[in-house]
Amino acid sequence: MNLNDMIQAPGEWMRGTGPEAEIVISSRVRLARNVRGFHFITRMDEAERLACEAHIRKQIQESGVAQPGTYFALHEMDATDRKVLVERHLISKEHEDATHPRGVAVSSDEAVSIMVNEEDHIRLQVLQSGFQLQDAWKLCGKIDDQLESRLEYSFSPQLGYLTACPTNVGTGVRVSVMLHLPALVLTRHIEKVFQAVSKINLAVRGLYGEGTEASGHFYQISNQVTLGRSEIEIVNNVETVIPTIVRYEHEARQTLLAKDRKRLEDRVWRAFGMLKYAQLMPSDEAMMLLSFVRMGVQLGLLKEMTLRDVNDLFVYTQPAHLQKLCGAPLESAERDMRRAAYVRAKLVNLKI
Amino acid sequence: MPMKCEAENCENEATVHLTEIREGVKHEMHLCEGCAAAKGLPGKSHFTIQQLLAGIASQTQALTQQKTRRGKDPACPACGTTLSQFQSSGRFGCPECYVAFKDDVQNLVEKIHDSTQHSGKVPRRTSSDVAMQKDLRQLQVDLKKAIRNEEYEKAAALRDQIRKLDERMAAGGLPHPGGADEPQQKPASPSGTSGKKKGKSEG
Repeated sequence: MNLNDMIQAPGEWMRGTGPEAEIVISSRVRLARNVRGFHFITRMDEAERLACEAHIRKQIQESGVAQPGTYFALHEMDATDRKVLVERHLISKEHEDATHPRGVAVSSDEAVSIMVNEEDHIRLQVLQSGFQLQDAWKLCGKIDDQLESRLEYSFSPQLGYLTACPTNVGTGVRVSVMLHLPALVLTRHIEKVFQAVSKINLAVRGLYGEGTEASGHFYQISNQVTLGRSEIEIVNNVETVIPTIVRYEHEARQTLLAKDRKRLEDRVWRAFGMLKYAQLMPSDEAMMLLSFVRMGVQLGLLKEMTLRDVNDLFVYTQPAHLQKLCGAPLESAERDMRRAAYVRAKLVNLKI
Repeated sequence: MPMKCEAENCENEATVHLTEIREGVKHEMHLCEGCAAAKGLPGKSHFTIQQLLAGIASQTQALTQQKTRRGKDPACPACGTTLSQFQSSGRFGCPECYVAFKDDVQNLVEKIHDSTQHSGKVPRRTSSDVAMQKDLRQLQVDLKKAIRNEEYEKAAALRDQIRKLDERMAAGGLPHPGGADEPQQKPASPSGTSGKKKGKSEG
């Protein structure tokens, strides 16, 4: 599987299936690990980074985890291809942006990705569509065991797995759930959700994780504490709050419908109209409009589209995906034109 | 230049920045905390991990400055990362830094995680000793509980179990949980196991 094959279809987590998929986009569990005998990334020289990457890469390949799949040596790829991996949530922005020897192993269903030489030597992630944290954790733990039988990790009985940043020390686990919460934003209840969530030590982040803005009403809820609790306690802690937030979002949608159905319908159809006819479509605007359309589909206001259709548009209108589809690097202004054309072409066939 | 609060007759610095999109149009608001609160807007209730780290770093800054004034910015013997380098980057250079900056790490870790004791997964390679320590801690908790509940038979059984485990650990020359506060390895010497006991005890 190479990148050009990969781009033909969205990955497992983007399919819009799985429990609570109307609101819960995806469930993710990641583990941070460092291999004993190597410095952490910031203190490595180029030779040690190369050696570390080669060592881990070999062990991943021989262990058979994330198989069938592909190993991408990121330092040998061009920027657009790397950005495709960011847009598919397989690598972090920092990993894309770096210049040192580094890579990522990706299973062909894109549920498993293992970043090598990121902030920690290994960042193992399992990403699944909908609300299925337990399954994600089980798979992540299993792969971790398989790698651990071949790699010796930096570990302290007191502090657990030692990580480059002390915010990850202990279990090294980050559990997160991506939610689509347009109605809580519209009814201005979203801040209350944030406050409640931060009281129990969970963090709220934007679409691409740490330090990113929430665009298209997508929010990630994740744990902050990684030490003093077991992995499963951390998974359960995040898992417990999700059904409540999902229920609030459903209630907020029903409130909007009951209070002012016409206004909500207007919002959804205006968004649809813009997407169907606009000639220039910046990516922020596309996200926002698609967000309203997605809510319209879920509420049955827009019966001609499926969640899958909308999810596909979210994926393929992102800058790097768009450029891959067009087969050439495009300037921002040109992208807005091609994006508008792409969306129009997708919507024109719908019988409305 | 700091931005001024947009509210009328207010000269404070704007620290709450809100972006809202209504009907596809972006609206921005820049207010001071007081005016934001007066308008019923949330203040700076959320903070990122970086901000938290920076805050803690500035708290411990005084400590570092004291140390550096005495001509010492402590450095990790294994990789050379200094405490002040760590505080500005938030990243350690190697696993041994956790030992080199033990006191600061202890503080920081407790503030971030509200704990200084790992209770999660243990790598299989070192699992036997760590698992025993973990069992021992659990048994001691259970014992206290049993005594509190006046379940003396259960308490006696637990005490025997603890004794056995203690003996096994002593026989294996394994560190007591109270002294097991070091990483077990150094990056520079992959074969080195620093099993030496520190002078700290639970008493």
